[in-house]
Amino acid sequence: MRLCSIAEVAEGQARGFAVPGLRRKVVVVRKSGRVFGYLDSCPHYEGGTPMAWRTDRYLNGEGTHLACHSHGALFDVETGECVLGPCLGQSLTRVPLRVSALGEVELQLESAVEEPA
Amino acid sequence: MNIIGPDYLVFGVDDLAACAEFLTAFGLSPVGVDDHGGLFEALDGTGLIIRKKDDPELPAPLPTATMLRQQVYGVRDASDIEAIAAELGKDRKVHQLADGTIETIDDHGFALKFQVTKRRKLEMPAEKINAPGAPAQRGPNELGVWDGMPAKPRSLSHQVLFVPDLDVAVKFYCGRLGFVITDELTGAGPFLRPKANDDHHTLFFIRTPEYMKGIEHLAFHMGGPTELMVAGSRFVKAGYESFWGPGRHKFGSNWFWYFNSPLGTHFEYDADMDKHDDEWVARAAPMGPEASQMFLLQHRDKWAPGPGPKQ
Repeated sequence: MRLCSIAEVAEGQARGFAVPGLRRKVVVVRKSGRVFGYLDSCPHYEGGTPMAWRTDRYLNGEGTHLACHSHGALFDVETGECVLGPCLGQSLTRVPLRVSALGEVELQLESAVEEPA
Repeated sequence: MNIIGPDYLVFGVDDLAACAEFLTAFGLSPVGVDDHGGLFEALDGTGLIIRKKDDPELPAPLPTATMLRQQVYGVRDASDIEAIAAELGKDRKVHQLADGTIETIDDHGFALKFQVTKRRKLEMPAEKINAPGAPAQRGPNELGVWDGMPAKPRSLSHQVLFVPDLDVAVKFYCGRLGFVITDELTGAGPFLRPKANDDHHTLFFIRTPEYMKGIEHLAFHMGGPTELMVAGSRFVKAGYESFWGPGRHKFGSNWFWYFNSPLGTHFEYDADMDKHDDEWVARAAPMGPEASQMFLLQHRDKWAPGPGPKQ
């Protein structure tokens, strides 16, 4: 399933996309020329909570990490691992993405599994 | 020790511009804010002070993700500052500043400051309602809601801290500073109010591991549940992320609506909190969804039923 064109997410930026059937948005983030996808769902609380502080504002102020703007948890963009904050040692739920030859960012839906509530 | 409550909460942030955008949209007014940050105040002058996280004027950060750098308490007069300095000076360093304020730390390492309160006295009506059997609070032709109605935070209400040891926190705030426990959510922690404030709580503790130490949320009082709903709805419409609410808590009876923020803590609009005096006997209930709220709603986009299927 197509989420966006790669041109819609600039290098070093993140955006969230609602996906029918998924309880949380999918966050698409670009870093070092690569594209990563995660559920917009901080693992701190059971069931997960949305992480932005405003539409598409998923990164910390310095743009170095994905951040949960509930309690300031920071996540490594490439691994999804929490490196500082309340969910230290836990990770974001990875969502497999593929960038097509035409630059379309696609969700590998068959392997995108909703996390348990 | 006539502590009234928090006058300011001071944060060291990594993105001043984003925080300024957020605080202004939340309804606070910038006062003397420049490239180094500044104060964003509610209608009574209480509020948040933000600085760059490496600003040398800020107290040292906690070794966690929290951006809270200092809690500034307002007290009634200079004799209260003297009393606090004498009490806390028994076992820790208390810095006396030239402006008559004092700075120190609590037993978990949170930086504190005490000042003669800078709160301005508000003269504003509470939300007025009409109900059968009671005198009308709004007279003829006085409207309850209108487009563009004001819905600004009136006063900094409370902050909630993640702390690893509740006994240490309670011994310090109740034993040394004269706070009292109004209620307790067992499994989370106690609600506290200081001597010179009859609000159900100006402080609440949640027990967490050491690495989470910091601020969980802070709250501002609104003029009533309608103002809370109006402010929250506008905030959502502007793209800000709701975390929990709107709803109404059981302990404190206050309406609530929590939002994410770029300051690493939740911001709450609250309204219509209970008042207590020293006759009150603290209640306890196990922390959980049932004890946390009387009811919980969820925002949705505006919608209206029409006459039926489109013709």
